[in-house]
Amino acid sequence: MRSEAETNRAIRQYSDMIRRICLYHLKNAADTEDVFQTVFLKYLLYDGAFESAEHEKAWFIRVTVNACKDYLKSLFRHKALCLEDLAEEAASIPPRQHEVLDAVLALPAKYKDVIYLHYYEGYSAAEIGKLLRRKENTVYSLLSRGRSILKETLGGDL
Amino acid sequence: MEAKGRIRQAFESIEAGEKLKASTESFLREARRKEERKRGGVIPKLLRRVPQLACAALVLALGIGGYVMLLVPVSYVSIDVNPSIELELNRIDRVISAKAYNEDGEKVLEALSLEWKHYTDAVDLVVESKRMQPYLAGDAALTFTVASGSRQREAMLLTGIRNCHGCAGYGGTSVGTDVDMVEDAHESELSLGKYAAYNILRQYDDTITAEDCRNMTMAEIRSLIREHENCGENHETDGNEGDGNGSTGDHGGGHGAGSGGDGGSTGSYGDGHGDGRGYGAGTSEDGGNTGGHGAGSGGDGGSTGSYGGGHGDGRGHGDGRGHGAGSSQEDHIGYGASGGQEGGRGHGAGGHGAGTN
Repeated sequence: MRSEAETNRAIRQYSDMIRRICLYHLKNAADTEDVFQTVFLKYLLYDGAFESAEHEKAWFIRVTVNACKDYLKSLFRHKALCLEDLAEEAASIPPRQHEVLDAVLALPAKYKDVIYLHYYEGYSAAEIGKLLRRKENTVYSLLSRGRSILKETLGGDL
Repeated sequence: MEAKGRIRQAFESIEAGEKLKASTESFLREARRKEERKRGGVIPKLLRRVPQLACAALVLALGIGGYVMLLVPVSYVSIDVNPSIELELNRIDRVISAKAYNEDGEKVLEALSLEWKHYTDAVDLVVESKRMQPYLAGDAALTFTVASGSRQREAMLLTGIRNCHGCAGYGGTSVGTDVDMVEDAHESELSLGKYAAYNILRQYDDTITAEDCRNMTMAEIRSLIREHENCGENHETDGNEGDGNGSTGDHGGGHGAGSGGDGGSTGSYGDGHGDGRGYGAGTSEDGGNTGGHGAGSGGDGGSTGSYGGGHGDGRGHGDGRGHGAGSSQEDHIGYGASGGQEGGRGHGAGGHGAGTN
């Protein structure tokens, strides 16, 4: 079991990232909180050692993505996700970015992880492949398909 | 703007609120407390395993119990004519295995499946099987020999065998013997029944080997025994009173003496003079494993030896001979023989010898 100091550091360090992954998977503040807690509980109870900060970060990404998927599975019959839940945050987001974000959220689920990890976290296709246990070539094609969908929705200026 | 920059910026605007962080922190504190209670709780780790350990022990006990109940042989039933077949029975009198001790036995067994059948059914199946019939024709001597760890079980098995048609229908005889004999018998590669008969024969004729016996039919062995018993007898008498008793010996030996009038009786040891005296000589091993065999005759009739003490069923033949086999365990008193208990009446009637334990 990890110490309180350790978990608090992890919360400071990874909250934003986890929040973002939850966002494009779940789009719902209450669900996000559930998954959020699940992820950190797993961290609390995970006794394995991390080789590096990079390793730890990758661990968090994997666990979060999986937790989101599990959550969606378990709540399969749950009411449709409501975009209005974004409202409180929406106010603080500049319209231009709001547009982009909406476009990303509207992507089919399979593209979102790679788009986020590549464009925001800056992982290469090979790294994403390892993280998500997909073939590198699959990641490449997901990336390019996702990008072209985004271009279509946002116009040529992407 | 470049795609990367725009997407990046869009995501940048998403953050985890302080509220979310705080609620997660408090959630983790709660979780940690629970976990600590669970891990370092009052109950030591081993104690928490008690239900599992109990379960494992139960399964183990059931397994061992079942094994002992079902797969450990506790009694043996040997069926001998010429085919020698031996059945191993478990605690609930079911056949665990059936072994043939000679070729004829193998032929009979080939066609039968006896495993897990009740022993009486198995005996019936063997005796009534088609391949057994040729051996039972004529004066074949169908013999059942039973050995079991406990006297009670042995008596029960004997009764069971006597009552089943396989035995009754073919004039079989059944005798009990000691369970220790089983091992010796198997060492000599003889079935229990043959080994018991071989033991009797060996007392008269030490040139005989287990090998010889394996190839002899029970009828042959029996007639040899009879022959040996008879050669000590050369007097006939019409003595009119015979009196015999089997004496008991702690060691299972016994002697039966019968005296019949002036009539000659014979003991196995051949003092067949006319005073109608018979001896049953007992040999005993470890307290009456084998009682002596005794023969006494009163008059010209009715003597019985009981072979092996215990409750051998001595049978009197017209010639005043008999042998019985039986076994007795250490704490059993073996009767040697009662020669001519009722015999010796001078009318040639078969004596009646009974051994009991």
